[in-house]
Amino acid sequence: MSFDYNMILRYYPELLGGAWVAVWITALSLACASMIGAVVCIGKLQKHGAANRLATAYIDLFRSIPEIVLIIWVFYCLPLLFDIGIGRYSSAIIALSAYGGAYMAEIFRAGVQAVPRGQVEAANALGIPVFHIARRVVVPPAIRRMMPALVNFLTELLKATSLLALIGVSELTYVASTLGSKTFAYMEFYTAIAVLYFMIIFPLSVYARRAERRRLRRTGN
Amino acid sequence: MSETANGTNGGDPIIRCRGVVKRFDDFTALDAVSTEVRTGEVVCIVGPSGGGKSTFLRMINGLEGIDGGEIVVDGIHLPGSKKDIQRVRREVGMVFQSFNLFMHMSVRENLILAPMTARKIGRAAADERAERLLERVGIGDQIDKYPSQLSGGQQQRVAIARALAMEPKVMLFDEPTSALDPEMIKEVLDVMVELAESGMTMLCVTHEMSFAREAAGRVLFMADGQILVDAPPARFFSEAEDERQASFLSKIL
Amino acid sequence: MTRAGTMAGLANRWGFHAVLLALGALMLANLNWPLVQSFEFVFIWEYRIALLKGFGITLLLTVEAGVVGVVFGTLFAIGSQSAYSPLRWLVGAYVEVFRNTPLLVQLLWIHFALPLVTGINTTALVSGIIGIGLQAAAYYTEIMRAGIQAVPRGQVEAAHALGLPAWTRWTRVVLPPAIRTVIPALLNQNISFFKATAIVGLGLLVGDFFTAALRVSNDTFHFLEPLTFAAAVYLVLGWQAGRWTLRLERRLSRGER
Ligand SMILES: Nc1ncnc2c1ncn2[C@@H]1O[C@H](COP(=O)(O)OP(=O)(O)OP(=O)(O)O)[C@@H](O)[C@H]1O
Ligand SMILES: [Mg+2]
Repeated sequence: MSFDYNMILRYYPELLGGAWVAVWITALSLACASMIGAVVCIGKLQKHGAANRLATAYIDLFRSIPEIVLIIWVFYCLPLLFDIGIGRYSSAIIALSAYGGAYMAEIFRAGVQAVPRGQVEAANALGIPVFHIARRVVVPPAIRRMMPALVNFLTELLKATSLLALIGVSELTYVASTLGSKTFAYMEFYTAIAVLYFMIIFPLSVYARRAERRRLRRTGN
Repeated sequence: MSETANGTNGGDPIIRCRGVVKRFDDFTALDAVSTEVRTGEVVCIVGPSGGGKSTFLRMINGLEGIDGGEIVVDGIHLPGSKKDIQRVRREVGMVFQSFNLFMHMSVRENLILAPMTARKIGRAAADERAERLLERVGIGDQIDKYPSQLSGGQQQRVAIARALAMEPKVMLFDEPTSALDPEMIKEVLDVMVELAESGMTMLCVTHEMSFAREAAGRVLFMADGQILVDAPPARFFSEAEDERQASFLSKIL
Repeated sequence: MTRAGTMAGLANRWGFHAVLLALGALMLANLNWPLVQSFEFVFIWEYRIALLKGFGITLLLTVEAGVVGVVFGTLFAIGSQSAYSPLRWLVGAYVEVFRNTPLLVQLLWIHFALPLVTGINTTALVSGIIGIGLQAAAYYTEIMRAGIQAVPRGQVEAAHALGLPAWTRWTRVVLPPAIRTVIPALLNQNISFFKATAIVGLGLLVGDFFTAALRVSNDTFHFLEPLTFAAAVYLVLGWQAGRWTLRLERRLSRGER
């Protein structure tokens, strides 16, 4: 058999459109997941009490259920359970945000807890108001510390968007499947999207790895 | 000047501790500590490890809660509201054994953050103050470096300048030279001596007996959560009035 | 005032609880109560054979990912330490390709595109077994490589100095401590592959546990019960396995000291 480049050239607008859908769904889900993650992280940072238990339950729940099961469950069950109409795209974003929230909470927590205790203590001793301590003393080193983990999670989220094909969201994988069954050029389209995914994800994971190694070399922890 | 420096004839009491108690679970770290520090006095606290020295200092700055008795700093009573604690912290500067500089900020940013956020001082005035204080501790040329680019002694001097930038009425030092290499200890002690001579009220936990001899007006000996001895340095080092003090002195002298 | 305390101050303890209560109340108020009252879990019992068969396939894929992953991952990791640079490069490329593309795309490629090259059509299950095996090998290579690199250099140098043959050096000196340090990571990775079997199932319509549950839904027009049941099974098993792994990890790290 031969590889028919013309197929890809003919359908590349569709493929790029699918890639674009994958990217914006990732971006939107990451934003929502960060907000959920921040709230869950604050709950988890409480030493005890209902907030801590709820946050722990949230994290355990959404880290234990497979992403694909969550996506399908939200798509089929959530509309029934609340008797509301949710489209494919909304259920996709709800599912990915709920899943991402659990991971983001843990990433945030690791970042905050990596800030040495003495930094906050010194800020307290200087009488700096709590808001400024959080914003100027805790958050900047926490963000720097968690950047590798965050970018790593971003690659996971990008890969997870491919699962949305299974609920008919027309992202990259879905586009390739439809084009493949229409033209039988499976080889061309699946290879093309594999390359596209790789081109988006690989640089991110290289960055994450380099940043992590830099951080380890600098701080040793 | 020398009278305020050695502290015997200082001004009004600026710190007053009455029966201060601190417990960690069922362990009593401080057991009814009472003492006074007058304006301009330099007081050194010495004693065996675990005696409660750090805990005592941290309570004066509201870093640890108070389980009994009270501490009055410049008329503000502790335990008190969060607002009272913030007021105390603005009047009391603290220097830590491990410097605790903000590692992600330049020296300048370390010095202006607290004045700008806690004292609401403008950027220009905060900058000017930072430059002046760094000159004073002898590292005016390091203002745009990051803490990790400085030696330990320089970092500790930045930490002292950072505390001074709040224009505190009292300075607390918790073993400021213990984490330093011997050749850097002197540069930090020189700054502290200069500070003492300028009339700053100081409470120093230290193992540097030379500093206690030279600069302190009083030496407190703390062990088992109590102040066992309170004496001027000359007497403190020559005649032990307590058994534990004697064994402590025999170990360090 | 601790780090946590500072953040807690921001959150305002009571505000936090109030928001949670409000959210909970909102959800309860909007639940579709007639539907909830009509729940029937009897289907799950009726379809128990199909579900159990599906679960068998899920287990098969999970175990396969672990075994294939560890065996080939170890071999590839040894290859990645080779002095022969094309081999190192090949292993690196393999690992990067399979780690930086989605599993579903790999599966679709293997099932639909690969036969066009080889001329051999594979059943969905075989494609799934190949796909998850290939990906597992890539992920386990990374883990094993980390384990090998964590073995102190002096150990390897001592083995060289003693003139041990390569086989003995690897099997007696390097691999035992390397594998020991990465056991928790290997187990965690296998939990991930347990979750990923559902992708194999649904992506290629291999009759795994989740596909079986979805089929019950399609047959009975009851979606909530079978799908929620399936989610609960994955949740309980994944969570429990995670806890065991964590406990093992703690025990191992204690034993080291
Ligand atoms: N956060 C804490 N929780 C429990 N116990 C504590 C805590 N902080 C201090 N302690 C205990 O209180 C006692 C006094 O500690 P403190 O740090 O004040 O001693 P110290 O005199 O400064 O000793 P060192 O010379 O070693 O610094 C010690 O026994 C210590 O273990
Ligand atoms: Mg101490």
